[in-house]
Amino acid sequence: MDSKQLEQLLEKYWNTETSLEEEQQLRDFFRGENIPDGMKETAELLRYFDHQKKVQIKEPSFDGDVVRKINATRPAAKSVKMYYNYARIAAGVAVVIAATYFVGQEVRKSYPAEVSDTYSDPKLAFEETKKALMMLSKGFGKARHETEKIKLFNEAEQKVQSKHSVKEKETTI
Amino acid sequence: MNLEAFQNRVLPAKNKLFRFAFRMLGSSEEAKDVVQEVMIKVWNGREQMAEVQNMEAWCMRITKNLSLDKLRSRQRRATDSIDEGFEVRQEALSPHENTELNESMLRINQLIAALPEKQRQVIHLRDIEGYSYNEICEMLELDMSQVKVSLFRARNAVREKLVKMNAYGL
Repeated sequence: MDSKQLEQLLEKYWNTETSLEEEQQLRDFFRGENIPDGMKETAELLRYFDHQKKVQIKEPSFDGDVVRKINATRPAAKSVKMYYNYARIAAGVAVVIAATYFVGQEVRKSYPAEVSDTYSDPKLAFEETKKALMMLSKGFGKARHETEKIKLFNEAEQKVQSKHSVKEKETTI
Repeated sequence: MNLEAFQNRVLPAKNKLFRFAFRMLGSSEEAKDVVQEVMIKVWNGREQMAEVQNMEAWCMRITKNLSLDKLRSRQRRATDSIDEGFEVRQEALSPHENTELNESMLRINQLIAALPEKQRQVIHLRDIEGYSYNEICEMLELDMSQVKVSLFRARNAVREKLVKMNAYGL
């Protein structure tokens, strides 16, 4: 490559007009020893690019590590998916059970509880029954007493009425 | 894609992906982690990869996105100091690596690391990896004019700074 060609190529390079092949030509040229004056920086830069392409991952175990990790993640990914599906079903069932329980509770609350037998001891039950019956009979007794008063009235009324009718009879005679 | 195809088609790209992640992150450890993550992502999504025409460009795109995630989380961790985060800190090289890179190469390394992110990505993919403009557009999700402008600015910025450094002996 003569100096004129080189200069043209470089100008294209700085203007980002070179093709990949032309850029390779430039790198090849500057790898050599005969660097024209005033092109020291360009040579440094292109050699740097060349050199950087050789940087590599140094660990020889890298590929093995990746393959091992891949094998480790594969089943995990599947089981996670399955777990999610089961979790969704379980959540649905849990919601239904909870709803039934709460609705049931509400229904129970709105109906009064049935009267349940509170006495387990028969003797005590008998006493309580007796007490209850006594209370009833006391009520009845009181009521009879009251009705006796009414009876008195009734009798009095009847007496008055009978006397009155006798009088009427006497006057008509 | 079975394991064999993966080993033949995807794994060999590891060094290219590593170099790109390293360029973005400036840490070989983090770059290696990113490449490993990319590999696992590609494998897990292998069913959808059937339609992917350019596997390497696809992998490079994932590498870019994961590296950006790493940069962002690094920035989040360093909320108290504004200087850190997106700025790429080139890690200290081991003595062995140091002798491999001569002084001018170290300088260029720093100059490229100081470029804006997009320019750094484009100059790396074109001048080091030798990808076509179309491939770079696909990898970086940019249009052609953005790629060319970024490359133009990157090349010329590095060149100018190099000339200045040499002229003033800095």
